[in-house]
Amino acid sequence: MNDLSQTWQSALIEIQSLVSPANYSTWVKTTRLIKEEEGVIYLGVPNEFTREWLFKKCHNSILRILRQLNEGVRALEYVVLKDEEQKAVNSKKQAFVAPTMSMPLENFYVSKEDNLNSRYTFDNFVVGPFNELAHAAAITVAKTPGLAYNPLFVYGGTGRGKTHLIQAVGNKIKHDFPNKKVFYLTAERFGSDFFDSLQNNKAQQFKEKYRKYDVIVMDDVQFFSSKQKFQEEFFHLFNTFYDTSRQLVFSADRHPNIIPELEDRIRSRFNQGMIIDISELDKESRMAIVRAKCTPHNISLDDGLVDFIADEIEDNIREIEGIVNVIAHNTLHRGRMLNLNEVKVILKNNIKPKKMLSVKEIVKTVCGFYNIEEDSIYSKTRRKEVVKPRQVIMYILREDFNISFPSIGDKLGGRDHTTIIHSYEKIRSDIKNNQLLSQEISQIRTML
Amino acid sequence: MEINFSELKKAVSLSEKISGKHMTLPVLSCFLFVVKKNNTIIKATNLDLGIEVTVPVRSDSETVFAVPASILSSFLSQVVEYDGTVKIESISNNIQITTKNSKGVIKTVPHEDFPNIPNLDGDQKTSIPPDLLVKGLKSVWYSASVSSIKPELSSVYLYTNGDKLVFVSTDSFRLAEKKVQLPGNLKINDILLPLKNVADVVRTLEAIGENITITVGKNLISFEVDGKLRLVSRIIDGVFPDYKQIIPKTYIAEAVVLKHDFFNALKVSNIFSDKFNQVHFSIDPKTKVFEIETRNNDIGENKTTVDAKIDGEKMEINFNYKYIIDCFQSIDSDSVSLQLGGPNRPMVIKPVSGDQSFLYLAMPMNR
Repeated sequence: MNDLSQTWQSALIEIQSLVSPANYSTWVKTTRLIKEEEGVIYLGVPNEFTREWLFKKCHNSILRILRQLNEGVRALEYVVLKDEEQKAVNSKKQAFVAPTMSMPLENFYVSKEDNLNSRYTFDNFVVGPFNELAHAAAITVAKTPGLAYNPLFVYGGTGRGKTHLIQAVGNKIKHDFPNKKVFYLTAERFGSDFFDSLQNNKAQQFKEKYRKYDVIVMDDVQFFSSKQKFQEEFFHLFNTFYDTSRQLVFSADRHPNIIPELEDRIRSRFNQGMIIDISELDKESRMAIVRAKCTPHNISLDDGLVDFIADEIEDNIREIEGIVNVIAHNTLHRGRMLNLNEVKVILKNNIKPKKMLSVKEIVKTVCGFYNIEEDSIYSKTRRKEVVKPRQVIMYILREDFNISFPSIGDKLGGRDHTTIIHSYEKIRSDIKNNQLLSQEISQIRTML
Repeated sequence: MEINFSELKKAVSLSEKISGKHMTLPVLSCFLFVVKKNNTIIKATNLDLGIEVTVPVRSDSETVFAVPASILSSFLSQVVEYDGTVKIESISNNIQITTKNSKGVIKTVPHEDFPNIPNLDGDQKTSIPPDLLVKGLKSVWYSASVSSIKPELSSVYLYTNGDKLVFVSTDSFRLAEKKVQLPGNLKINDILLPLKNVADVVRTLEAIGENITITVGKNLISFEVDGKLRLVSRIIDGVFPDYKQIIPKTYIAEAVVLKHDFFNALKVSNIFSDKFNQVHFSIDPKTKVFEIETRNNDIGENKTTVDAKIDGEKMEINFNYKYIIDCFQSIDSDSVSLQLGGPNRPMVIKPVSGDQSFLYLAMPMNR
């Protein structure tokens, strides 16, 4: 770079002799050399007018001068710079006259180039037993993008930090490998982009846009479920990336094998890399998260309160964050720490009540999951596709809701309680050996 | 060439402000006249903005010349208004202007270095009534930051949201947002229009009656009326912060006041405010009193109560007078609602009835 800026200095002297002093100070002096890449010199100019003027009047002479100084120069490109002058001077003044608080706008910049939110980093990611595997895999990917696990597929229920984790991968790669172009988007955005491009006859532009990146981080892949056209386009993008060992990172709310109506070829491609889940939060992790969320607010809750909050909110980091925000606000407002009773009131008002579920709703959810008629559960049929869901329902009712065997039998079409006991035991033992079944059940649980 | 006097005067007054001042290159403080048989294009630029105004003329020859903008416009403004035509002839290094009862000779400047005003071809074009833009820009632009540390904050941010065009600006101490209804389903790329160009853009747009075509490029935006006028402005290639996250969704105290009362109370209290323009609000729902208090050790102090409908909790909070008073120019309704989110949280000011398209946020003071 130093060498380059010297070249530019000598070029400037020559250009100065070519144009009038007024022209020089108006058009040439305001430019600055940005970089050289493969023989192309990029010259920063303050505005379009300068670009036009230089291009029309001086382009050939500047290029000739540069070539004389450095034979490797093939071309000259102009880039309009953003204006960022007078930084130091103004900031001093500002600090003096601003007793008004400023808005925390810095936190809300989402970079246009890569869509990543810079708040999501590994540094502020809380690691616990529930996500340490996912975290380790993500770190590996961030260190060796495209080589270690490709694709990396993270799944887990809402509010467990999937987005944080995959964006942290993006931010880390962006930081450690500045020449790699990272792009974050949701599957939904991919879809709507694709749709727009079809409407405007710009399918080719769409393809090129995504293929120019080195790392793509895509959130909420389950959106592709039953969207054939998107899957098709996504499949090709996937192949291009995979073949050129560029990193792909995905997240979804469930394992790819149980995302309904996903083409097999896409499913198998997800399986090619690393699929890893963020499981349910254990209590220690929840407590760690409550403490971590308190730090930016400069409050510290005593152990009893932390314990209480961790007990009350079970599976959603977002809810924990919300509660901590409310507590922090109240603490500030009252000028003292809150006691347990006050926190209880806050919690009562702010978290959604535990849902009361009827047997019918559970049946409906399970049937929806397995895509069968609800009525068949209550009927006497022993078709294989009905028997399994029926047993799953029995298992869930017993295991999660502690309903007695006879009353489960009663509610599911008047079956004998021994039938229920048999089904319950069967599923319970099957879960141990059948990975898929256990995934299905945990998926159903999150849907309830 | 012969040119209608009022047409020429209008074109010159539109372009004069945009021509460069104190430029190192003399031709930049000039108008460039591109004379054709049927029309003349008058161009001016300060390298941040560029304008081209086309006026109909009758001419025998085609020439190009540049004259100092301030001289020509001062000359024309002194000429008594009349309906007839003006004769302009370019003779060697001078132009000769003949009006009804005055004749002037102005030295021209070599025009070769007058820059081309960039064209934006192939980008998305949108046709839109200019008064929409004027209204939106005028409603928010005073909130933009005057310092150039963050170029995106010393701009007005425009984006489309459904069938609304949204204008936002903030200097991080206050924020103004205005939504205007777009005719039909128009799509406009996001725009960051630099604050220092907003006044010129507004002035030019106000002079136009018919629909304009906007074209947005990476670094430039153009406003165009086919065959009549083209205004090109630099835009900032940057990102505006996701300000929606700052707008509070809840509040703990609300006061609804008559705009006129509140405005007057603020003006009175400002007489006694300190050098930071600090005004103190106390809101008490029990006693139903909204009091504005200011104190300056060198001058004195003042307490003014404002009739208000108060809900929520008791609140005491300080603001900078300037940051509040600004927003009234954008509020048409009789009453305004002040919503307070608690200490150290922004206050939301909105019109209570009628047009709800405006929203204002002011941050409190530290002390």
